[in-house]
Amino acid sequence: MSTLKHKGKGPQAMTANELVSGLNVWMTADFGWSRDYTDALLTEDEDQIAAMDEAAKAEEHANTVVGAYFIDTIDGKPARYRERFRTHGPSYDTAELV
Amino acid sequence: MYRYDEFDAEFVNSRVAQFRGQVERRLDGRLSEAEFRPLRLMNGLYLQLHAYMLRVAVPYGTLRTDQLRMLAHLADKYDKGYGHVTTRQNMQFNWPILSDVPDMLTDLATVDMHAIQTSGNCIRNVTCDPYAGAAADEIEDPRPMAELIRQWSMLHPEFTFLPRKFKIAVTGSAQDRAMIKGHDIGIQIVRNDAGEVGYHIIVGGGLGRTPVIGQTLRAFLPKDDLLPYLEATMRVYNRFGRRDNKYKARIKILVRETGIEEFTRLVEDEFAALDASEIAVSADECARIASYFASPAFEAGINPLDMTNQPEAFRKWADTNVVAHTASGYAIVNISLKDPDRAPGDVTADQMRAVADLADAYSFGELRFTHQQNMVLPHVRQDALRAVWDGLVAAELEDANINLIGDIICCPGMDFCALATARSIPVAQAIAERFNDHDRQQAIGEMQIKISGCINACGHHHVGHIGILGLEKAGVEFYQVTLGGDATQTAAIGDKMGAGFSQDELIDGIERIVDFYMGERAGSERFLDTYRRLGTDAFKEALYANA
Repeated sequence: MSTLKHKGKGPQAMTANELVSGLNVWMTADFGWSRDYTDALLTEDEDQIAAMDEAAKAEEHANTVVGAYFIDTIDGKPARYRERFRTHGPSYDTAELV
Repeated sequence: MYRYDEFDAEFVNSRVAQFRGQVERRLDGRLSEAEFRPLRLMNGLYLQLHAYMLRVAVPYGTLRTDQLRMLAHLADKYDKGYGHVTTRQNMQFNWPILSDVPDMLTDLATVDMHAIQTSGNCIRNVTCDPYAGAAADEIEDPRPMAELIRQWSMLHPEFTFLPRKFKIAVTGSAQDRAMIKGHDIGIQIVRNDAGEVGYHIIVGGGLGRTPVIGQTLRAFLPKDDLLPYLEATMRVYNRFGRRDNKYKARIKILVRETGIEEFTRLVEDEFAALDASEIAVSADECARIASYFASPAFEAGINPLDMTNQPEAFRKWADTNVVAHTASGYAIVNISLKDPDRAPGDVTADQMRAVADLADAYSFGELRFTHQQNMVLPHVRQDALRAVWDGLVAAELEDANINLIGDIICCPGMDFCALATARSIPVAQAIAERFNDHDRQQAIGEMQIKISGCINACGHHHVGHIGILGLEKAGVEFYQVTLGGDATQTAAIGDKMGAGFSQDELIDGIERIVDFYMGERAGSERFLDTYRRLGTDAFKEALYANA
């Protein structure tokens, strides 16, 4: 599970969207999912990465999440700007004014 | 206004029922995501950067008040209390959950609405001059034609899986308010030397990563030939359009690679070969459709509002947001959705209801969404303008900035879109804040700033007088500027300036070129006129003066 801009170097995290809500989630240390990136499992351990991959496939098959993929991280944060942005949501949302 | 017949209603209801079943099968695993994705996209449901997004079709941007109230209902019940008017005159909801979407579509169907043709490689929702049926400069109301195209294209078996998405815009006026030269096909109602009304067909326009201004395919097409000729054009595209490369699959690339002369020959040959009688609709059917768009019963003898004792804010709003109507005593009212504190095009459920109430009271129950992400009350008595303004003030919709620098087109950008490379909403807000003073906006005059958060150009930056493209490199957003773009009948792609700016630098740079224009303009020149007269280098120098 990779994207075009995923390098697979350094600590890896697994992200996806919840099937029902569509909201962003990250895989946790117990191979569950959290909507809070600070709960995400970040690891360079190849066995653990392989296990995360298997777990994500199983979760997709179980229709819990959709579109799971690994992301690179640096200093505990997603490496790509887009992925960093996904961790905190929109910088502006009219919903906050309603 | 058009109301669904039995066939329309049955079809939409059956599509809702199908999608309800598809969602159920997706949720219980009988459908995989790979199987489900094209089905949800055919019903306007995207998975965006943070959540699902449902795009609801508003054919040719025309709405009844019960339809706007239904959109408000969806915003409140299934989303976060607001909707977003798009550059295709549709409405997007940013936060629906998958299991609610069948109910949303069921509710929409009760008021003749749906989300079909808002995604996928089909003929998308047809867009239209938002002043259609009200414009003083119109030859004919283009909406019956748009409705005819909707009916023809919606279920067309040949054109459900085109090489790429396909966008059509229509207008009945020489003054292009529908950006017809920036569409795959643009159609203008024209009159020939014999006084007959027909269509000027433009093909191969488009924005995106390869911006192209459309070219004339037929200067005058008799009205009866419209659908057969469109069908011939679509067949040529469907046959020769590139399917090997997504980025070269739009008709603009085919027209460019083929050449307009050869492309025209292919279309004319196809048109000559097909059986037009199999495709064209009868005069009776055209008349039936047109009857839905008959003008309201305008009253005679309405006196213009006496402005002498009106508040200054009202007079400024009337100067900026109110446009001449074809019927004496009436006016077109533009409602700005460009509050500097909000995202361009966003409107809350309460505001939607307030506008629906105003439309019922003062505009024959009719509304429009515009491709510039505003709303329109098309038929307002001039002696009711003050009452309309009072209602808009109460709803916090009284911004007096239509066609001014604060009236910015802006895509959702990185704040919501999965494809974006940078944010666009905060840039629009920062520009609007910098130029918030109404008198300054009025002094600057007509100005169209358009902002896209990626090269797909949903914010139409290529045709902005000032265009802004958001990009990202090494985790930092930056913004490139184009100048001199034009979305009207004098359409032009903006000229690229040089290196990009940070957001703060960008706002200062825009202020410098605006000040430069103000200092250099001759007489009543618009920004675009001065830019064309002085050329790129002069403005580029001003843009980078402090860089």
